[in-house]
Amino acid sequence: MSIVNMLNWWQWSLLAAVPPAIVLLYFLKLKRQPLEVPSTFLWHKSIEDLHVNSIWQRLHTSILLLLQILLIVVAILALLRPGWRGSQLSGDRFVFLIDNSASMSSTDIKPTRLDEAKRRVAELVQQMKAGDVAMIVSFSDSARIEQLFTDNRRELERQLVTIRPTNRATRLGEALRVAAGLANPGRALEVSETQVVEGLPATVYILSDGRFPDVEGFSLGKLKPVFVPIGEPAAPNVGIIAFSTRPREDKKDQLQAFARLENFGPDDLTAQVELYRDDSLADASQVELKAHGSGGVVFELGDVHSAVLRLRTLSGGALRADDEAWTTVDPPTRSKVLLVTPGDEALELALATESARELADVETAKPEALDTKEYQRKAAEGHYTLVIYDQCQPKQLPQADTLFIGGLPPGGAWSALAKAAAPQIIDVETAHPLMQLIDLGNVRFAEALPLKPPPGNTILISADAGPLFAIGPRDGFEDAVLGGEIVGTNEKGERYANTDWPLRLSFPVFILNALSYFGEATSPGATNVEPGHAIMLRSAGAADSLRVVSPSGKAVVLKRERGEAFNFSDTDELGVYAVEEANHPLRHFAVNLFDSAESNIEPRQDVQIGYNKVTGETTWQGARQELWKLLLLGALVLLLGEWYIYNRRAYL
Amino acid sequence: MSTTSSALLTPELMAQLERLELVSRKIFRGRLKGERRSSRKGQSVEFADFRNYVPGDDLRFIDWNTYARLDRLFLKLFFEEEDLHFYALIDASPSMDFGTPTKLHYAKQLAAALGFVGLVRADRVRIETLGQPAARHAPVFRGRQSAWRMAQYLDTIEPNESGSLASGVKNFCIRNPGKGIVVLISDLMDKQGYDTALKYLLSQQMDVYVIQTLSAEEMHPEIKGDLKLVDCEDQDIAEISASVPLLQRYQKTLAAFVEGAREFCSRRGMNYLLAHNELPVDQLIASYLRKRGLVR
Repeated sequence: MSIVNMLNWWQWSLLAAVPPAIVLLYFLKLKRQPLEVPSTFLWHKSIEDLHVNSIWQRLHTSILLLLQILLIVVAILALLRPGWRGSQLSGDRFVFLIDNSASMSSTDIKPTRLDEAKRRVAELVQQMKAGDVAMIVSFSDSARIEQLFTDNRRELERQLVTIRPTNRATRLGEALRVAAGLANPGRALEVSETQVVEGLPATVYILSDGRFPDVEGFSLGKLKPVFVPIGEPAAPNVGIIAFSTRPREDKKDQLQAFARLENFGPDDLTAQVELYRDDSLADASQVELKAHGSGGVVFELGDVHSAVLRLRTLSGGALRADDEAWTTVDPPTRSKVLLVTPGDEALELALATESARELADVETAKPEALDTKEYQRKAAEGHYTLVIYDQCQPKQLPQADTLFIGGLPPGGAWSALAKAAAPQIIDVETAHPLMQLIDLGNVRFAEALPLKPPPGNTILISADAGPLFAIGPRDGFEDAVLGGEIVGTNEKGERYANTDWPLRLSFPVFILNALSYFGEATSPGATNVEPGHAIMLRSAGAADSLRVVSPSGKAVVLKRERGEAFNFSDTDELGVYAVEEANHPLRHFAVNLFDSAESNIEPRQDVQIGYNKVTGETTWQGARQELWKLLLLGALVLLLGEWYIYNRRAYL
Repeated sequence: MSTTSSALLTPELMAQLERLELVSRKIFRGRLKGERRSSRKGQSVEFADFRNYVPGDDLRFIDWNTYARLDRLFLKLFFEEEDLHFYALIDASPSMDFGTPTKLHYAKQLAAALGFVGLVRADRVRIETLGQPAARHAPVFRGRQSAWRMAQYLDTIEPNESGSLASGVKNFCIRNPGKGIVVLISDLMDKQGYDTALKYLLSQQMDVYVIQTLSAEEMHPEIKGDLKLVDCEDQDIAEISASVPLLQRYQKTLAAFVEGAREFCSRRGMNYLLAHNELPVDQLIASYLRKRGLVR
């Protein structure tokens, strides 16, 4: 037990003089109410033995005096502010960073880690002295300022309660930047124009399980970090970290569901998994999982065209968010591809292969068709998934992904240098899905436009003269531009082969890559959305609105904006979201955690912030347990008792 | 009858009192013939007894018819009807001016009621106070028609008399040497004690009734806190801190005081009665005094 001295020495001496003063006053009895009585005869007789005038005898009987002295002693004790020492707050400015990511919903600490973090922050807030200011920031993959710097403890506690768990991943960096921005102004962060906080040192309390990547390239400046790890080190957890469906390699019409489970606990175990198809149990299995190991499970689904699949593991451990995973099988929708070309046999041939036909319906049109109303309507409505403009340029970009071959998109964002003759291909970005398995070492172009793509683009093929092939985002779509034509046309109007690429094996592979890459958005069965991330949705027809029903049944109507695709970002809830267009189910998508960093709930004992290694506070002594409230309560009870006794004249 | 006296004697009370009469256990010689049938034999129309003639007896009372028949002399005895001297002695000291109604008012009411009983039965009623000088006699009331005079006289009594209980009683005894019934109405709260005073009365050969009147405040004091009690008569001060033990002790002292007075009186053949000012007078007379034998 420790005592916080609340008074100066002279205040104490003044206080110490109070009990003797009470005793003196009691003896003096300055104020006696005079009362006229018929006769004091009997009174004199009665008080004869009480009137022995012995001080001690008088004190002996005076419980009121005793109570008064007791009261003052209790009040003095309360002023001492006794209590049991808890974690001390150091400094006078605090930033509480509270992790509310998915892993903080673990129940290894009852009720949850987040509640424990909130409780600890509440304890720290209670210890704040007058004049101390604190800020509360909750963070998952993004930071959210719950409360700006204030000395209002009540407000801090109120905001603390409102922090809700999320299913998101954890990134500390943004939260730290928010804290630093408010603590060390001058860093680029504007929170509010009215908020002016001078650059003063602040203590940053990070309450987290530490399941976030090390923060790199961040200097703490005047921030003093304190990491409070939350969680049981040996808490068991089994998480589903992947779940998807795929056609069997040998029988394309048969579907298989693959799931991957990981055991993050310290013990080997056998995980029970159950597969539900449209909410009825379809299959069950067991996976042997070694400690800190993973294992897979495969379910044969057979001939399934449409289903909502849910996988559940019964031995899920402390974190529940990763005990279930969803995926959907929607009727296959082949992407619609429009090829606009004055004539390109190689391209038409590549789009006519069996594999290409499985992926897409290809329409072919002449460049003149670009002026027809039908094309313009379909382009504006997003009818096509991909439009390939071969040696031509539309007046307006369509609501679709585009692939320009030997031409530039309209609008002026893209530009090119003068045609370069025989550009040498230097590098191919094979990491990009469009360029997977493509070797262009044996491909030559007669001439090509060295591209000057707008910022934010990815260069897929670099040549000595400049970029030859690049892809860049445009609103919700992507435009890929190949600088070199496949079939060129000379001044006389004669057509010639500009490149030998169509002769190489990589050309049809490239076309298939393009079809599957651009068409992926329309094959939604595989689509998995991370919680909190946005998903782009496309309507099948020309509808102006889409309706998205969340797993809990909350419906959101999305309106089309400026002829773009629909963007849905309210994906905090785990589960299957249904997308409806004009009251007809269009497709489903699943939001799953699938984050082994979050599923690994073992708390880290230290975190790396920039060049600083912050070691966690291993022992949490809890908040200082204050006694003064109890003492004051006792004093109040004493006062009441005194009043009662005085009024009832019931002193013994 | 004036309003104040009507406060003393209500018609209902008077109607109740008319049926009563004062009783004396002692044999008194009345000065005038009253309506009272004395235990003494005397001259009245009501025959009482015969007795043998002894020389010196009044020849007028010899029953000559019996002599004719029996040839022996008998004397006819008749009941004597006589009046009774009733004295009400009221303590009018300031200490009697307490309580609701005040103890003095209560004493006056009691005196008026008992006096009225006497007046109705043609007794001789005299009401005196303790503070009265020895030489001054209070008026004597007789006959029902004097009731209003008696009430008026009672109204003039004010609680401003000083003097001890003993001296007051002594003066009374000097003034009224005769026999009769004396009712002392006082709170007996005299610091010199009440025994001297009562002994004076005792020496009077009177039928003595002591009615100690106490107010509710005295019997169950409702006090709290630290108080400075001031005696209204001699300004004596008692500092007390009201407490349960003190109040218990007060109750004990009071009980001992009352019991002492009762004991003192009953040992000496006096009648003692404790009356507090909240007990209605008619009830006191009808039940308590009747039981004590003052009225019947």
